[in-house]
Amino acid sequence: MTYADSRLSAIYPQRNVLIIVKDNTAIGEDSDRLNEEYKRTIEHYLIPTTTRWANPSIRFNTLKAEWEAATAHLSSITEIAIHPAYQQIIGMGTIAIPFILSELTKNPGHWFWALKSITGEDPVPPEHRGRLKQMTEDWLKWGKEQGYIV
Amino acid sequence: MGKGAGIYSLSEQEIEKTFPNLIGSGYTVTSPETTEYNCIAWAVNETNAWWWPDSFNLGYWPPQIPRKETIDAFIKAYALFRYAPCKNLQLEAGFEKIAIYVDSSGTPTHAARQLSNGHWTSKLGRLEDIEHYSLDSLPEYGTAAVILKRKK
Repeated sequence: MTYADSRLSAIYPQRNVLIIVKDNTAIGEDSDRLNEEYKRTIEHYLIPTTTRWANPSIRFNTLKAEWEAATAHLSSITEIAIHPAYQQIIGMGTIAIPFILSELTKNPGHWFWALKSITGEDPVPPEHRGRLKQMTEDWLKWGKEQGYIV
Repeated sequence: MGKGAGIYSLSEQEIEKTFPNLIGSGYTVTSPETTEYNCIAWAVNETNAWWWPDSFNLGYWPPQIPRKETIDAFIKAYALFRYAPCKNLQLEAGFEKIAIYVDSSGTPTHAARQLSNGHWTSKLGRLEDIEHYSLDSLPEYGTAAVILKRKK
C-alpha cells in the first residue's frame, strides 16, 4: 500500500490503493497548475466528502470559510451569528473551541456568540462590549485558564 | 485605490461581488479592512467599537438607549450626537447628514455618512471604508429609509 501523501494515509489508512506520484520537475506555471490539480484529484480520491465532513478540522474550516464569505459585509451581529454555517459550528459543540480560539489568536472576529453558546460562559465585562480586540483578549485568557491554550 | 487605479485588489473583487452596483456608480476604497468598528460607529466618526444593539449583548450600544434593532433605537442613538431626522439627502451647507438603511422588514442594516463633497462614506461590515457617490449603490443593505442631519 503506497500513498501519495503520508499525511493522508494517516487520516484514511483503510483505503487500500496504490498511487504513483511523480515529482513536479518541470518549470512553468502550467506545470505547477497541473501538479496542483493532480494532488487535488488524489486527495479527493483518498478522502471522500463524507470523510472530510467527519474530520472536525476540515469541517470547521469549511464552515468558517462559508460563514466569512457570506457575512463579511454585514454590520448586524444578529445576522452574522444566525448564519447557518455559524450555527453549524456552534452545533459542533466543545470540539470547536480549540479551533475558534486558534482563529482568535490570528484575527479578532465575531466568534463570541459561538463561544458563549458552547461554553455557557462569558468572560467579557460589559465595558468591553463591541471592542473586539479586548473581547478577544478576554476569551484567550479564559482559554488559557481552561487549558485550551498552552 | 479603487477603480481606475490600475491595481485590482482581492478586496475590491470581494466588494464588487457583494455590491455590483458600485461598479457602475463608482467608489473609492479609503481604509484597510478592520473588525475594530462598523458602519454604525463610522457614521459618527467613531472607530473604537462595533456598534450594534444585539440581544446577545456582544456589540457596543449607548447604555441609555433601548437595546433594540429598530429604526427608533438607531435614531435615538444618533440623537446623542445631535442628529435629528430631516427630509432630504441633498448636501446642505453647514450641515452633516447620516443615512440609515433598512431591510424589507424595516430592520436597520447599515449607515452611511455624507462627506463635504456630497459623496457618502460607508464602512462595509468587516471590510474596508469606501467613498461612494450614491446611496443607491448599496441596495444589498435595503433602502436608505431615514436621513438625519446636524449642524456642523
